[in-house]
Amino acid sequence: MAGKIAVQASRLDKLYEFDREPVSPDKLQSGGKFAGLFAGEHVAATEFVIGAFFVLHGVTAKDLIYGLLLGNLLAVLPSLGVRSDFANVWDVAKTKVWNGIAAPGQDQFGFWHILFFAWFCNLAMHIGLSDLAIFRYAKKWTYGLYTAFGMYPGHMLAWICSGIMVVAVGRQMNPALMAFEAAGFAGVAGVLFVGWTTANPTLYRAGLALQAVTPNWPRWKITLAAGTLTTVISCFPVVFVKLLDYVAIYGLVLMPIGAVVFAEHWVLPLFSMEQYRAEKFGWMINGRALAVWIGTLVICFFLPIHLYFRWLPGYFIALVSYVLLQAIKKNNR
Amino acid sequence: MQRIIYGILSLVSLALCLIFPIVHFMGKIKAARFKSGFLFASLAWFIFVALWATRPKKSSKT
Repeated sequence: MAGKIAVQASRLDKLYEFDREPVSPDKLQSGGKFAGLFAGEHVAATEFVIGAFFVLHGVTAKDLIYGLLLGNLLAVLPSLGVRSDFANVWDVAKTKVWNGIAAPGQDQFGFWHILFFAWFCNLAMHIGLSDLAIFRYAKKWTYGLYTAFGMYPGHMLAWICSGIMVVAVGRQMNPALMAFEAAGFAGVAGVLFVGWTTANPTLYRAGLALQAVTPNWPRWKITLAAGTLTTVISCFPVVFVKLLDYVAIYGLVLMPIGAVVFAEHWVLPLFSMEQYRAEKFGWMINGRALAVWIGTLVICFFLPIHLYFRWLPGYFIALVSYVLLQAIKKNNR
Repeated sequence: MQRIIYGILSLVSLALCLIFPIVHFMGKIKAARFKSGFLFASLAWFIFVALWATRPKKSSKT
C-alpha cells in the first residue's frame, strides 16, 4: 500500500503545469475548452441554494429577471440582451414563486440586491483576478468573455430553476430534497457532479496561489491540502445557512488584491512608476499591498451600506490608495 | 470510428435528457417514468461522453 502511494506521489511530482513560468505556445487551449470549463464551473451545487434564497428573501419576478440579466451582463461585460414573453408563465412566476413576500427572518431583497449579487458572485475570480490562473492557457484575450457560458446557464438559469424548486417543496431550504423532488436520483447525482466540476478549477487556482508562498512544495500537495481543508469547512452548516453572505465576504476579501494587480500592471506605467518591485527585489511581503488590503477591508467593514454593495467603492479605494502609496514612496526615493 | 459512435451515443443521451422533462411537462408521461428515464439518460451521457473524450483523435497526418 505504502509502495503504491509512493509510486503515485512520484508520478504526481512529475506533473508540470507551468507553475511559475509562462505557458508555452503549444499548450495554449482553444475557446471551446474555456466555454466547457466555465459552463461546468458556474453551474454549481451552490446555485441550488442561491436561487432558493432569493425566493425566501421576497424578490419579485421582475426584479429577479432584470437584476440577473443586468448583473450577469456586468460580470461578463459583453453587450447582450434577452427578453421573453410568456404571459402565463410570467403570471405564475409573479404570483406563486417570486411573489415579493420575504420568508420570516429573511431581509427583503429588491432589484439592486439581485444586480449586485449577480455582479459580485465569483468576484474573487473576476475582479479578484484569480481567473488569470486559468487564462494563462488562453490563445486569445477574448476568451474572457466565455465566462458568459457560466454566468447565464449557471447564475441566471440555474438560480431561476432553484427558485421554482424551493417553492415546489413548500419553501423549505433543503437542496437535496429540492433536487430529488425535481428530477429523482438524477437530480441528486447532478448536485454531486456540479459540485465536482466547480471544485476542480477552483482548487487548481487555490493550489497555484498557495504554491507562490510555498515554492518547495509540489502543486499537487498544496492542492490536496487546500481541498482537504475546504472539504472539512464545507461540512459545517454555517457556510450553507449563510451562503449569500459567505459569497459576498469571500469576494470582498480578494477584491483589493485584484485592484493591486490591476494597478501594478496597467496604472503604474501610466505614471512612469516602477512595476513589480516585490518580484524584482525578492520581497517576502509587499508592505504597501498588505496595507492597502487591510485598509480597504477595514473601510469596507464600516461602510454604512448593505454588504452586497461594499465591494464597488472598496475596489476604487484600493486602486487609488495603492497608486498613491507608490507615488509617495517614489517621491521619497 | 469508435470516437464517432461514442460521440453520437452521447448526443442521443443528451437529447433524451431534454426530451424526458419536456414530454412530462406536456403531460404525456408520469413523474416516475420521467425520473427513471432521466436518470438512465444522464448515466448514459456521462459514460458515453467520457468514452468519446478519452478516445484519441484521428491524426490529420498521412
